[in-house]
Amino acid sequence: MPSVTLRGIVKRYSDVTAADGLELTVNDREYLCLLGPTGAGKTTALRVIAGLTVPDEGAVLFDGKDVTSLEPEKRNAVLLSQTYSLFPTMTVADNVLFGPDIRKVSGGDKEQMLVSLLDLVRLTSRAESYPRELSGGMQQRCALARAIATSPDVLLLDEPLRALDARLRIDLRRELKSLARTLGLTVVHVTHDQDEALMMADRIAVMRAGRIVQVGTPEEVFNEPASPFVANFVGQSNFFTGTVVCSGPDGAMVEDRLGRRVKARPTDVPEGQKAVLAVKVGQTHIVKWEAASLHGRIERMLFEGRAVHVDVDVEGAGRFSSKVPVSYHGRYRVGDEVGIGWNRKKAKIFPYPEDGLQNELRVD
Amino acid sequence: MPLVELKGVSKRFGKVVASSNIDLRIEDGEYVTILGPSGCGKTTLIRMIAGILEPSEGKVLIGGRDMDGVPIEERDIGYVFQNIALFPHLNVLENVSYGPIAKDADQEEQRKVPARYLGLVNLLDRMKMFPSALSGGEQQKVALARALASGARILLLDEPLSALDARVRMDLRYELRRITKDLGLTVLHVTHDQEEAMTVSDRIVLMRRGRIVESNTPEMMYRAPKELFTANFIGETNLLDGVVVASGDERTLVELRDGSVMGAQPSQFEPGDAVVISVRPECVHVADDGLSAIVRSMSFMGTYIRITAEADSEDILGFDVRVPRGRDFNIGDHVHLGWSMESALVYPRPPGGIAEAVKLE
Repeated sequence: MPSVTLRGIVKRYSDVTAADGLELTVNDREYLCLLGPTGAGKTTALRVIAGLTVPDEGAVLFDGKDVTSLEPEKRNAVLLSQTYSLFPTMTVADNVLFGPDIRKVSGGDKEQMLVSLLDLVRLTSRAESYPRELSGGMQQRCALARAIATSPDVLLLDEPLRALDARLRIDLRRELKSLARTLGLTVVHVTHDQDEALMMADRIAVMRAGRIVQVGTPEEVFNEPASPFVANFVGQSNFFTGTVVCSGPDGAMVEDRLGRRVKARPTDVPEGQKAVLAVKVGQTHIVKWEAASLHGRIERMLFEGRAVHVDVDVEGAGRFSSKVPVSYHGRYRVGDEVGIGWNRKKAKIFPYPEDGLQNELRVD
Repeated sequence: MPLVELKGVSKRFGKVVASSNIDLRIEDGEYVTILGPSGCGKTTLIRMIAGILEPSEGKVLIGGRDMDGVPIEERDIGYVFQNIALFPHLNVLENVSYGPIAKDADQEEQRKVPARYLGLVNLLDRMKMFPSALSGGEQQKVALARALASGARILLLDEPLSALDARVRMDLRYELRRITKDLGLTVLHVTHDQEEAMTVSDRIVLMRRGRIVESNTPEMMYRAPKELFTANFIGETNLLDGVVVASGDERTLVELRDGSVMGAQPSQFEPGDAVVISVRPECVHVADDGLSAIVRSMSFMGTYIRITAEADSEDILGFDVRVPRGRDFNIGDHVHLGWSMESALVYPRPPGGIAEAVKLE
């Protein structure tokens, strides 16, 4: 099984640079998610790996071997596109066995292969059904079986769960991941859904505007975001803008123009520099008024099931959100004046973005 | 008097029954989502309210008036579709102005209306741009402004956020609720996304196979679902097979397949009844004793870690631990799992099996 490396990949379309110097290594048997908003260049990167798009610059390596000019069918990588097209006049079994490599396999082996593939995607009882008789999830699994039937080393998935219902997607995430692991595949999975990436990926590469802005394990990307954009895109964050003060080995503070000071972990951003502090919504707490240096008024509370989402309007600093345990329900009401706090280790300071915070955080 | 009312509404397409004897009342100013898996008949339902489809049986009433034969333009309805439908050759302002603006308003008023609604969706600075220059989220906001500018009191939203990225969707659903509440509109919002339904609605109507399964506030649907299908569809849950061994005012005790006895909320069941316990992953915790299980997988979910374990009772359970504590667990670890009795609900074991009762497609 191969590793896949992108080296300085550039791809331009008339006025858009879809890939702007991509550097990435996907390790052997790794499940890597390419995560980013629409238009970030995720699909372009995937198609370059597959050989369906020829880069203007740079090289693609499989196991260290340059495959940049190798045709797609010789790469042993298969791409499952967003719109998986099954043949409507063929049964599930015939669809799965359609691939060119399989047609060469002899009858008995082929039969054996079909049985195990259908079992793998849980479609054994639907072998003789036609695509139109299947639900969306079943069609998706059938397309997946067809892709795997070619015995690829590298599986490239372009938003494989996008067309499915939200609830079904949650169940299929687990199945897809365990399937890839069972088969020992190297997988690159494109998604715009940060929950999907967190849950499925061994590592996540966050993309934006044709660039990879961070690569790391889900924990690294969540806990050590490389920029305010990543902090907000992977699990929502609250932001506090001001100047760095009291910076030391134990932590630092950010002071806004109203003189309010909030705490963060140690930072390289020098004292006196304009900065923005980011803290995850899920790590921001509603606390007693006296216990906080930041205060506001609850403007909205939304029951979300496992938690209650609370929005607090902080004068001059915008909206701060928090997730309050459902058991606290009734302790707070809309209109209450509350304090907002967090563990200083959970807050990270970034230099204030050159194009402004709003542009930095744009998700579309 | 409810503003929108369906009385015994059915719709058949040939042999397929898309809606089956639906009764539904929507109050003035209420935000209702029609939630359900693909093919459950939710879009058919909203189209009958809009007048795009005629019911095979039953009545649709708006403001107490029977809508039989009344065309969509006369139903006081604004409609936003899943696939953003803007005119590509018109700019944002013209797109919003194009809709049937409040019929009897004077010219001055007619000029102001589009700008007012563009302000509401925070797009005043995009007024002169063409749709192709906007992001998907912005385009859908323009479509919303256009529907609002018609002055209709009822807004029908057919999967309005489905075509958008997950992160954009999160931001927009808060906007949707804020705007429609500010305007005091009555909203019917069709979606397959239970998280979306939870955060925007006053009330969720859950559908399956052409029928209404259950209808209640988001909180009640999550905390006290009456049906097994609801418990699984709205938020994740663990479902465990068992037999009641004791029942009373304080709790129900259920024996699982491995002989372990676990507690749940009080119920009407009698000892010997075959039941299913439903308990949510965030309510399951590691205990000193309880259900014996082996950790099979762990996934980092940001603020918590989801652990999946296989119990001696052959049930697979998901449970959540805070991140720092999650590091104490390893795959293959032997754990004991428990939950508070109040957090576990009991249902009759479905005759066709659990899998069939909660099947999503």
